[in-house]
Amino acid sequence: MKSWFTGIVIALSLAIGTAGTSSTAAAATSADDIKTFTLDNGMKVLVLEDHSIPNANMYLFWKVGSRNEVPGITGLSHFFEHMMFNGSKKYGPKMFDRTMEAAGGANNAYTTENITVYTDWFPSDALELMFDLEADRIANLSIDPGMVESERGVVTSERSTGLENSNFRTIWEEVKGSAFRAHPYSWSVIGHESDIAAWSQQDVEDYHRTYYAPNNAVVVIAGDVKFKDVKKMAEKHFGPIPAQPEPRAVVTTEPEQKGERRVYVQKASVTSPNIMLAYHVPEAGSDDWQALELLNDILATGRSSRLQNSLIDEQQVATQVFTHLPESFDPNLFMFYAVAAPDVSVKTLEMAMITEINKVAAEGVTEDELTKVKNRKLVDFHRTMATINGKANTIGTYELFYGDFTRLFSAPEEYEKITPADIQRVAQAYFRKANRTVGVLDSGEDTDDIKVASTDGEGENR
Amino acid sequence: MKNFAKIALSAVLILLPTLAVAGGYSLPKHEKTVLDNGLTVVLMEQHEVPLIDLRVIIGGGAMVDGQLSGLAGLTAEALRFGAGDLDKQELDHQFDFIGAQVSSGAGHEYNQLRASFAVRDLDTMLPILGDMLRRPTFDADEFAKYQRRQVAQLSQQKESPRAVINNYFHKLLLDDHPYAAAPEGDATSVEKATRNDLVGYHQTWYQPQNTIICVVGDFKAGDMKKRLEAIFSDWDRGDSAVPAVGTLPTPDEARVLLVDKADAGESTFYIGGAGVAVTNPDRVGLQVINTILGGRFTSWLNDELRVNAGLTYGARSTFQSYGQGGLFRISTFTRTATTVEAIDLALKTYGRLWEKGIDEETLASAKAYVKGQFPPRYETSGQLAGLLGQMYFYGYGESYINDFEANVNNLTVAETKRLIADYFPRENLQFVIIGKADDIREQVKQYGKLTEVSIQANGFAF
Repeated sequence: MKSWFTGIVIALSLAIGTAGTSSTAAAATSADDIKTFTLDNGMKVLVLEDHSIPNANMYLFWKVGSRNEVPGITGLSHFFEHMMFNGSKKYGPKMFDRTMEAAGGANNAYTTENITVYTDWFPSDALELMFDLEADRIANLSIDPGMVESERGVVTSERSTGLENSNFRTIWEEVKGSAFRAHPYSWSVIGHESDIAAWSQQDVEDYHRTYYAPNNAVVVIAGDVKFKDVKKMAEKHFGPIPAQPEPRAVVTTEPEQKGERRVYVQKASVTSPNIMLAYHVPEAGSDDWQALELLNDILATGRSSRLQNSLIDEQQVATQVFTHLPESFDPNLFMFYAVAAPDVSVKTLEMAMITEINKVAAEGVTEDELTKVKNRKLVDFHRTMATINGKANTIGTYELFYGDFTRLFSAPEEYEKITPADIQRVAQAYFRKANRTVGVLDSGEDTDDIKVASTDGEGENR
Repeated sequence: MKNFAKIALSAVLILLPTLAVAGGYSLPKHEKTVLDNGLTVVLMEQHEVPLIDLRVIIGGGAMVDGQLSGLAGLTAEALRFGAGDLDKQELDHQFDFIGAQVSSGAGHEYNQLRASFAVRDLDTMLPILGDMLRRPTFDADEFAKYQRRQVAQLSQQKESPRAVINNYFHKLLLDDHPYAAAPEGDATSVEKATRNDLVGYHQTWYQPQNTIICVVGDFKAGDMKKRLEAIFSDWDRGDSAVPAVGTLPTPDEARVLLVDKADAGESTFYIGGAGVAVTNPDRVGLQVINTILGGRFTSWLNDELRVNAGLTYGARSTFQSYGQGGLFRISTFTRTATTVEAIDLALKTYGRLWEKGIDEETLASAKAYVKGQFPPRYETSGQLAGLLGQMYFYGYGESYINDFEANVNNLTVAETKRLIADYFPRENLQFVIIGKADDIREQVKQYGKLTEVSIQANGFAF
């Protein structure tokens, strides 16, 4: 992420849908409200007019993330995201931010395993300036060697502050490395420390040429704008940027995991064990995806969800439990995370988690549970669509991960079709020991719990 | 959403013609009523999405905890452990089944109950929320479970310097003032609390004459008022008065609180002093100046520490305001080896406020930024409910919103000099540094009288 500055939090994984039963949503957005066009160079633009506040936004989704990296340049997608703010032809170093802020705008950016997203939020009268700023850095980025060096320090700090303050990040990095031995989801988005220190000017320049081509982007603009103005400005500013050859496809398929893998991380200041369980699952938009999303909610969304109710309230073996099921282009992980209650061992907590997970495969879920999570998706949909930023981010996410933004609006019917049998089937298919990686974070050193009888006076054995 | 409209919009001109002279934004129409029992009810209609947001503010908060730090927070949390005829499991299931979000907690000065739900569930939700406020059961078993969990979470919180540094900073600046204690309490005090303590807190402070209910969303105000009267009009007024709070202490010497975290890879630090009260007449001007110093990406602090020096992922400054005063702080983090370099650069940059001051161009940019980023802060029903709650709790009136743009526009360079001289703490700065004490102790002594505490020690006292 570019910065922890702006107060606007973007959920990296949005699970949205509607149950399609709301007749009260008269003012709600529909697919017809979103107008689109594609420039000759292949850049697709989606526009949603919304005049509720005198503001608008521009979200640029680039189809590049850490999955496009190789060893030696891990973390480069994210580093590159930072470099996009460090100067181009017309707007030199610092001028992108200075110009935008002086016009009342603010921005941020984030990088995931799959995509890089740039977000501009501005008073609507600054729309053309946004096009000018973005076009200049897309077409004419100038990568200053001095800026590369100071930005390395920034990213190193971003990496270390994440590991210092987030146990989740610390384990996630290790679990990914074990669960994926071939696919680039193996490394963290922030990258290996040694790679952050090592990438070259050439690496950065090549990355820009390859991935920051208009045919590799989707742009969403939502807010107090007029479609015809947006179209005219897009043609003027983005239209002249030449298309590039399609980037090389990510061809590596992770080989099937044949048995459980385990990793352990020691961090002295941890007060009770943290555990992550990660199962390989298919990519977003695949046949089983929606059943997995609903299963995710049944297991961990809300206090009445199975894991929260069982582990926190009934058994009291955990102080926190949550899941993470990121939308991804390639098959990724369904992650379960829990923090042990005092005096609860890793083994006890792990077994409690696995028991709840396996129960779905063995016994299925009830109609009531399924109705509950479908209802929730409807209300959450309205919450997301209550802001122009929620709208822009969601529309873009659907366009990228589900191939078509209109699926945002047909998702309700698709969720409706999911049955308890579907939920049980996907649980059986993916929640298997052989498909699992377990990560443990704890304060002590990882040692054998076998006591070897020592021979008197012989000292340590090796 | 129809929250803020530009004055050019005809609908606004017709409804509220006088706003044309008041500035660019105006608070949407709302009505305030005080019921016979003293309960303040504030209603605002917003019809874009079929949602309702409710915010209840109960005066008191953690500053009336007395000897049992954390009591207000435990009481607020316990509202959901059973209410009226429903037990905790039933409440959890009911809320989750309809996708409602309900949360409660305590701040320094007030307790809060927040709810967001679909319009169609109004008949279900309002009576339950009424029971939570008036008839919580404080189930003993549920409280005991939560208490154990909370004690553990207070220890776990110490694993993240960023999660706790503000609590240390409050303690360092405010000593034994009622605003000093962390609202969540500490492990030792939370462990001591009993169910009777919660019942006592509830009886004393959860009274209609001490409560404000704000409801914003897709309803008719007349109908909502009747519904609220039906639920709350027979609630006994009560006569508890939240004691007046004295002025905040002003530090009389520079001090450094070094919080030792032995496995820290970076130093996290705050530098600051006294701030201003929520109702300070100069708050808008101070917000503009703080934007320049450390309130946006191109601010002086972020520009120097991050962009120029690469010492950190981000540096900022913040005013934290309460009813009777407030705190001001500069905050950032850097790797252990560059702790002093980062502190010195932060201090040098801060000194520019007095040494160079603010020029016309920078002021114009900050004004545009603050105005441009204002409307999205009050875009959703939830945001508006929060604003109304604050407005009526602190009694600052809607002129804050309606005159905001004019107040920003009126700020001159000469006026910034006065505000800097009057409000930004220059002498006797207070430092909290969380990091590896052995590596930095000798170097940070230079900033003031040094006190050291282990992050593992209970609470935030030293």
